[in-house]
Amino acid sequence: MEWSNQQMDEKEQLRKVKETARPTVGIWILSAGTLMLIFSLVLSISLGAADIDFKTVWGTVFNFNPELVEHQIIWELRMPRVIGAAIVGSCFAVSGALMQGMTRNPLADSGLLGLNAGAAFMLALCFAFFPGLSYTYVILFSFLGAALGAGIVYGVGSLSENGLTPIRLVLAGAAVSALLGALSEGIALYYEIGQDLAFWYAGGVSGTTWSHLKVVTPWLCIAILGAIALSRSITILSLGEEVAIGLGEKMGRVKILSAIIILILAGAAVSVVGAVSFVGLIVPHLARRLVGHDYRWIIPTSALLGALLVVFADLSARIINPPYETPIGALIALIGVPFFLYLARKGGGQV
Amino acid sequence: MTSKQWKTKSQLKKERQVKLSVAILLILISICFLISLNTGHIRLTPQETFMTLIGQGTEQQSLILFDFRLPRMVVAILVGVGLAVSGAVLQGVVRNPLAEPGIIGINAGAGLAVMLFISFFSSASAAPVFVMPIIAFIGAGGAAVLIYVLAYKRHEGISPIRLVLTGVAIAAGINALMIVLTLNLDPENYQFLATWLAGSIWGSNWKFVLALLPWLIILIPFVYVKASVLNVLNLGDETAIGLGAHMEKERRILLASAVGLAAACVSISGGIGFVGLIAPHLTRRLVGDKHEYIIPISAMVGALLLLAADTLGRWMMQPSEIPAGIIVAVIGSPYFLYLLAKTKD
Amino acid sequence: MDALDVNKISVGYSNNLIIKDLSVAIPKHKITTIVGPNGCGKSTLIKTIVRVLQVQSGAVFLEGKAIHTLDTKEVAKRMAVLPQTAQAPSGLTVFELVSYGRFPHRKRMGRLTQKDYEYIYWALDVTGLNDLKDQPANALSGGQRQRVWIAMALSQGTDILVLDEPTTYLDLAHQLDILLLLQRLNKEEGRTIIMVLHDLNHASRFSDYMIAMRDGAVITEGTPNEVMTCDYLRKVFQINADLISCPHSTNPVCLSYQLCKNNSECKVI
Repeated sequence: MEWSNQQMDEKEQLRKVKETARPTVGIWILSAGTLMLIFSLVLSISLGAADIDFKTVWGTVFNFNPELVEHQIIWELRMPRVIGAAIVGSCFAVSGALMQGMTRNPLADSGLLGLNAGAAFMLALCFAFFPGLSYTYVILFSFLGAALGAGIVYGVGSLSENGLTPIRLVLAGAAVSALLGALSEGIALYYEIGQDLAFWYAGGVSGTTWSHLKVVTPWLCIAILGAIALSRSITILSLGEEVAIGLGEKMGRVKILSAIIILILAGAAVSVVGAVSFVGLIVPHLARRLVGHDYRWIIPTSALLGALLVVFADLSARIINPPYETPIGALIALIGVPFFLYLARKGGGQV
Repeated sequence: MTSKQWKTKSQLKKERQVKLSVAILLILISICFLISLNTGHIRLTPQETFMTLIGQGTEQQSLILFDFRLPRMVVAILVGVGLAVSGAVLQGVVRNPLAEPGIIGINAGAGLAVMLFISFFSSASAAPVFVMPIIAFIGAGGAAVLIYVLAYKRHEGISPIRLVLTGVAIAAGINALMIVLTLNLDPENYQFLATWLAGSIWGSNWKFVLALLPWLIILIPFVYVKASVLNVLNLGDETAIGLGAHMEKERRILLASAVGLAAACVSISGGIGFVGLIAPHLTRRLVGDKHEYIIPISAMVGALLLLAADTLGRWMMQPSEIPAGIIVAVIGSPYFLYLLAKTKD
Repeated sequence: MDALDVNKISVGYSNNLIIKDLSVAIPKHKITTIVGPNGCGKSTLIKTIVRVLQVQSGAVFLEGKAIHTLDTKEVAKRMAVLPQTAQAPSGLTVFELVSYGRFPHRKRMGRLTQKDYEYIYWALDVTGLNDLKDQPANALSGGQRQRVWIAMALSQGTDILVLDEPTTYLDLAHQLDILLLLQRLNKEEGRTIIMVLHDLNHASRFSDYMIAMRDGAVITEGTPNEVMTCDYLRKVFQINADLISCPHSTNPVCLSYQLCKNNSECKVI
């Protein structure tokens, strides 16, 4: 009797969450967002150190002529970086949403899994000991670093008897980040490579080429689809462990799958552009504000908004002070901070 | 009946535990102190050290000991104490285990102020020794006040979650600004700034001890007196109100004390926020959740951590130094992770 | 004089008042129970009484004095609270948690005085927790934990006890256990007890005075015999109840009930 009552309660809670979801708003936002994204992609491709009109952009995509310099610029430089920006934005945003749902902590982002610190640590090692390493290898190594960071956090978190509780995950993440952060700081100070690292860390998508995208994109698409597939479980998890168990959710499996997806998404994104971590923190909050608390809506919305944010940030980074580029991570933080403050005041913080 | 007879078994056991922890910590701090005295660029034998301490050393020896090593060690201990207590208070007030002085903008604010100073006004090395801490203190306090004001709402006051969110946002914004500024710094200033941000006890001067001491002497006994308030705040808002705690007022006072402590420390040591995060956590695993115990013992843990870190930093790669902040993180976090894996929640 | 006098209070946000112009008096040395459907404002009323929520207008009077003008510590010496969602931080023993109930009586620092110890031991004794006092509080079962919170409220040594759903999440025996304890405190020590209960039969059996609420207003108040009638139950809960007399007290018992369709009859056996 009591048990079934409790189950009723849980179903009730889940129903309430679903009620807060706003499918009409969701569909509207998703479609408007997609249009905005296409528009911003084209805009971003045509604006830059050399302005190129829309017709030429159109021509490049559908009628590529390698003889034309403008087509060359678009194809070799602009397009990969703009698409890269969009992809990276989605990755950070989706992994942030997963992280917040999983840990039920509104401050969580992929950085908490030790990803950013791990990537930065590997980067410091690369810069200190193999200064001439090619871009591709640097990306590969920093992905390995991200995996190392996440592995330690996850491993330590689940060693204990009670398994991986959110609070344990958060604490382990903070400790591992501090450890790896300190090590890379030490290396940077000793080898005097701090400023190079800072530049990388500040983020930038300018170096992206088609070959990078070819390697990274399929994985990221699979991971984002995986995140969407997991979103129902994440919604349940975000209601708390007991509720989730009560509803028959296989907690361990969901957590490991989410961790793997977060690693792929954020690990790849961090290694390509550096730590633009604010995207992962802020976009899920915005998405929740727009479409409610059901992660089946939050995750796709986050993906879109994340892409939009980074594409625009990259665009502004190029046009604020040409021909120099303003670090994109800094720009995003500067845009994001006032907005985040607004959210905090409006009583955000529910996950 | 005396109060001893009233006490329960667990109380007596815990008191023994506390006494034992205090004793062990004091012994460790003393050992560390002695080792630290003998560590440095110029080696002194223990005998020489002892002779110098009782006033029988050469002029050079007493110069090294009294004007370089001792003040630096004392500063390390004081900074460790201050940051640890500040962290313990913050974790109690905010009720978030990730709370540390960094969360109310202390590190970011101080860092930005120092950075602005060295990038606009003068080169780092030319500035008089006292300017930097004052600048840093203003930055740290300014950031904390900004966060408090932004998180404050009429009728509702300060809610912990809003404070934390605002703190994170402001820190992120400041860090972003700092990244932009970093790229324009010349390498010499950058190196100075990076060392400062990593947290090193570079203020080795008795005057720094004097500047730091009043803060600790006033604020630590004050928050210790407030230990029972912290205990009650930990039970949640409704229970605390039911027990007659002036929530808003107590929160504000305690936050201000934590800010004062941390800002004073960070202005002299640079960014060593990790001590404030880890020392209270370690303490809690040692003696449980009562703030009467947490505050004094985390102060000792903080002192030990920072003294040990500074000593190691001086010793490991002589003649160059590793900032204490880095060492604290490198030795502190593995132990913290070990505790995390070993204990239940 | 009444223990608590709630005088025309409005609570909520300016455009969305949960309680509007509500007045009710809580009698001294009695057990008063507030009942009502979910969302009727009973928790809001309780939270206002214990000053977690602020009134928009009106006032709550504690023994004749407006509660918001009194020093919160003075209030805490006279009225103890058991919130609905009390959560113990980890790492505290039962004794330590119960000892926090002495907070309003303690001077700044200082150790527990002999009087403090007397109250704490008495509270542990009354709640039957003496053998558990050295256990960590968060290792206890639900029923035991609830008794720890009650013990903490008792060690506060107040005449008035306010409890928001003290029996929720407990099994039948533990529910009864808690209610009998409260009854004993009332009978033997004359404590004023105010609580929110969901179980109508418990409310009827254990209270001297009942307040039935719906939509932020008091529908009726009085002795259980006056409140537990078919009419009022239909008005308050929209149920048709079969009522009989309780063999343990003289108060009515709700035997079984049906959701109201329209004006269907309700019968008294």
